[in-house]
Amino acid sequence: MEKVLIAFAAALAIGLTALATGWAQSRIGASGAGTLAEKPELVGAIVVLIAIPETMVILGFVIATMILLMLK
Amino acid sequence: MIARISSVEIVGPKGMLRDVLTCLQDLGVFQIEPELVRVVEKGDEAYIRPFLQDKKMLSERIFLDDLRLKINTLFSCLPEISVRTSYIDPLPVLDNIAKTIDRHISRCRLVNEKKEVLEKERTELNRYRIFLDALFSILGDIGDTPDLDFIGLTIKEPDMVGLIRQLLSQITDRKFEFLTATAEDGTLAGLIIIPKSISGKVKQYLSEKQLPELALPPALRDLSFPEKNTHVKKRITVIAGEIEDIAVEMERFAHRWVPIYLNVRECVAERLSLLRITASVFETTMCFFISGWMPSDDVEQVRKKIRDTFQGKATIEEKEVFEEYLDRVPVVLKNPPYFRPFELLVKYLPLPRYTSLDPTPFIGIFFPIFFGMILGDAGYGIVLVSLSAVMIKLVRGKKELVDAFKILLISSVYAVFFGILYGEFFGDLGHMLFGLKPVWVERRGAVVPMILFSLSIGAAHMVLGLALGFIAAIRKGSKKEALYKFLTTLIFIFIIILIASLFELVPRLFTRPVVSGILILTPFLILTGGLLAPLELLKSIGNMISYVRIMAIGLTSVMLAFAANRLAGMTGDIMTGIFVAGLLHLLNLILGVFSPAIHSLRLHYVEFFGKFLEYGGKKFEPLRK
Repeated sequence: MEKVLIAFAAALAIGLTALATGWAQSRIGASGAGTLAEKPELVGAIVVLIAIPETMVILGFVIATMILLMLK
Repeated sequence: MIARISSVEIVGPKGMLRDVLTCLQDLGVFQIEPELVRVVEKGDEAYIRPFLQDKKMLSERIFLDDLRLKINTLFSCLPEISVRTSYIDPLPVLDNIAKTIDRHISRCRLVNEKKEVLEKERTELNRYRIFLDALFSILGDIGDTPDLDFIGLTIKEPDMVGLIRQLLSQITDRKFEFLTATAEDGTLAGLIIIPKSISGKVKQYLSEKQLPELALPPALRDLSFPEKNTHVKKRITVIAGEIEDIAVEMERFAHRWVPIYLNVRECVAERLSLLRITASVFETTMCFFISGWMPSDDVEQVRKKIRDTFQGKATIEEKEVFEEYLDRVPVVLKNPPYFRPFELLVKYLPLPRYTSLDPTPFIGIFFPIFFGMILGDAGYGIVLVSLSAVMIKLVRGKKELVDAFKILLISSVYAVFFGILYGEFFGDLGHMLFGLKPVWVERRGAVVPMILFSLSIGAAHMVLGLALGFIAAIRKGSKKEALYKFLTTLIFIFIIILIASLFELVPRLFTRPVVSGILILTPFLILTGGLLAPLELLKSIGNMISYVRIMAIGLTSVMLAFAANRLAGMTGDIMTGIFVAGLLHLLNLILGVFSPAIHSLRLHYVEFFGKFLEYGGKKFEPLRK
């Protein structure tokens, strides 16, 4: 049972952050695509803006790894 | 690196102004500073005024502006075709061209108007043709019908057919024929055949019900139905021929005259830019003087050229750049050939300030390393090296593409290097085929060591970024900011040591002195950086953790390659296995180009550059042809 809970906690850590990242990127991506249609020179800024929420899932991944490795 | 820029002043007799400006335009390394009056020494303001253009210069400017406008008007009337290059010197023939162009414009306008009329007629006739073709298929070769009248309709809604039929029954007492057919363009063509005696009444009724009659042109009215059809088709053929003749004539004209006019327009634009620039020049009673910027390396060359050309009558002087003018100094990036392609990646960001640092060398060093660390597969690396080498040759001449493939080539070499360290060749294919073993670590089974490795890379990169921020602050002459950056770097290093000692990666012995160090330095950090300074520091820790993506993205790549080989093995057939593995490896290779590139870029743009780069530099825009 304990193992199941640990796995579930790790899954939550990565899953929720992945969902959050996906949601944030969808919003930024849609706005970014609109911006690029009018100002293609902003491609650098848009790439950066789209990539920013990925930190969430990376942090989630680290936490999930820590949960799996430190609580086993 | 950001090239050193000098503030220069060029002085000479007023009569030489145009020649000096032409000389500077030829050299193409001087950017004029229009707000010169701000750097005029105190006490001299009364003797210096903006250069006033004389009557001759003003009339020349009006003449050239007008000529350029006329050339543009002429070009708008002509077809866009590729033309030869004209080698005629436009200056001696400028007056003749100015006289000829009016004639050419009116001729081209006339021809274009004729073409427009013909095209309009053709469009209308095509509409009739579609209608007549549809009805011809119903009526066939009908002869003269003096007692009958034909009314044509274009029906937009198919449902209207029933309604029209009902209306006609009521008005004509069923003395009518209503035929419909679908035309080429999909619309419904309708033909009402009624006795001439009641046609007026029907037409009026249709008009009231907003069912407009398709009115044929006067030339067709008196013809029989088959004659109408033949006449329309003949006329369309004649018009097509006439339009073709006009196109050939205009093309011939363009081939003959466009090269000359292009040459003249270029010359006019150059002269106009020179005349406009004189508005940024200043004068005294006898002299002109121009102030501006040029790369320090070019000052000597320009000085020599001006001295030789004007026999010492015009002179150039290098001036000191005052601190308050540093924000106005334009930025030129000058990098060694190895780093030059990486300017492409920097171009997507705003230019750094003159007092800041050029990020190109840093991205040139770290981008390929990060790319290699993430992709880390010798097989993929070799494929990408070969592909980029071929592409560099294929796209020769397109600078941006060549640069992009050069970056891919360098990054792929690092992917091969890290592939050897990780023992990966198309995943574990190298191990299965040639017994390839990792020189350093096998990524698939070493999640924690790889996380620690990525974090170490992140820590080192962050420390470098913070240290560069400290150097940039010193360069800018801001002591308080420099101290703040120094303290941030120091506390950041202490925090890393603290975390490492807590996880027993370094001896626990370090914990106490490091905590003491952080506690002592934090008040100074707040004093120099404000209340938000500790938050900024925490952000740097977050930035460091972001480097875990090097491991995470790399792990997905290696797992996909591993899955490709396993799936291929499970097929049990060599050919199918090769096909499946090839397909999955191809997918992984495509992902392996984009994913590491975007994530490496992000690590630079967001995490690294944010530590030291100040944006807002002005682009160097020299006076050139």
